[in-house]
Amino acid sequence: MTPRSRLVLLALAALILVPAIVRIALVLPGFGAPTALYGQTVNALLPDLRHVTNMVAAVNFDVRGIDTLGEEFMLLCAVTGATVLLRGARGERGNLRAGHISGRPVLARADATTLVCRIAASVTMLFGISVALHGMTTPGGGFQGGVIAASGLLLLYLGEGYAVWRALMRGPILALLEGGGALLFVLCAAGPLVAGRPALENVLPLGDLKDLYSGGLMVGVNAAVALAVAGGFGLLLLEFMEETRVPADDPAPEEAEP
Amino acid sequence: MSLLPWFVAAWLFAVGLYGIVTSRHCVHLIGCLTVCQSATYVLLLGLGFVRGAGPPVFYDHPPGMPAVDPVVQALVLTDIVVGAAVSALLLAIAIQVQRRRCTLDPQALRPLRPSKRTAE
Repeated sequence: MTPRSRLVLLALAALILVPAIVRIALVLPGFGAPTALYGQTVNALLPDLRHVTNMVAAVNFDVRGIDTLGEEFMLLCAVTGATVLLRGARGERGNLRAGHISGRPVLARADATTLVCRIAASVTMLFGISVALHGMTTPGGGFQGGVIAASGLLLLYLGEGYAVWRALMRGPILALLEGGGALLFVLCAAGPLVAGRPALENVLPLGDLKDLYSGGLMVGVNAAVALAVAGGFGLLLLEFMEETRVPADDPAPEEAEP
Repeated sequence: MSLLPWFVAAWLFAVGLYGIVTSRHCVHLIGCLTVCQSATYVLLLGLGFVRGAGPPVFYDHPPGMPAVDPVVQALVLTDIVVGAAVSALLLAIAIQVQRRRCTLDPQALRPLRPSKRTAE
């Protein structure tokens, strides 16, 4: 299909879609005055029912917890798929040498860079853990905290260089975090089933409002999500970074002839 | 004024869709897909916004104060994280396409042909 015919097809689709979109935009409730009751009911009831102050976390980890379980497994599938695709073409063998474009000078890293990156990486990871731990009380939670903690790993790469970074990052440990987090989530969901209750029912003591431990089972689910997200994004960073190493040392396996 | 957020979302989606249709590079295509996805964030957050209300976190202000819809925020939150991982999966596929077909132009990709490396 030529680019021209694709644009014609898009224009034809737009002829039908644009009036529909305009029509729907005109009948939506006005901006700033929504009519949906679900969210406002959650805001009104959940602080008393679950002893948490962050309603977003309460929706994610308790009220719609089963949905989050699905999201969690989408994350697991995406990370597994990316890892398998990259590793399948590259082989399992690790390598400590980074790739190098011939003719480009390799400059020594300044001490200041290493120092700043070490400090910034520690602070970033601690901040990520703090955001994840305080998910029930203040804005935050496992998803955000996990991503922040994993992004600290990139600062380590910037400061230490490929070889040291690669020695620090253990693929199996990151995979264990990712899979272990998903397993912990499943255990939290299935635990109440053993006692003959509905899945993900909040069976643990709820704790106090505004306390670090509040929300009962949500704390476990939050920790599971934080582990899985941090492990998953760390694994993605590792796999994409492995793509930059010396290709001659590890030739890609030849495809089988059909 | 009250229609502006919906048309911003529609515009973002349209821009991303135009980019996907006219794309000549797979990585550009994945970027356009992310733009399309961000249209859903604008739409969802716009749907949950309540004029004059605070965040749905009752730490500083007591429960019972007006707050915006937490359900759409939870949806957007998980969507962003999962969307980032799915983008990584798509980029991994793009790397494989480059490796096997030696091109990233969606126009040049033809299905059911032996890859260049095995053909050589």
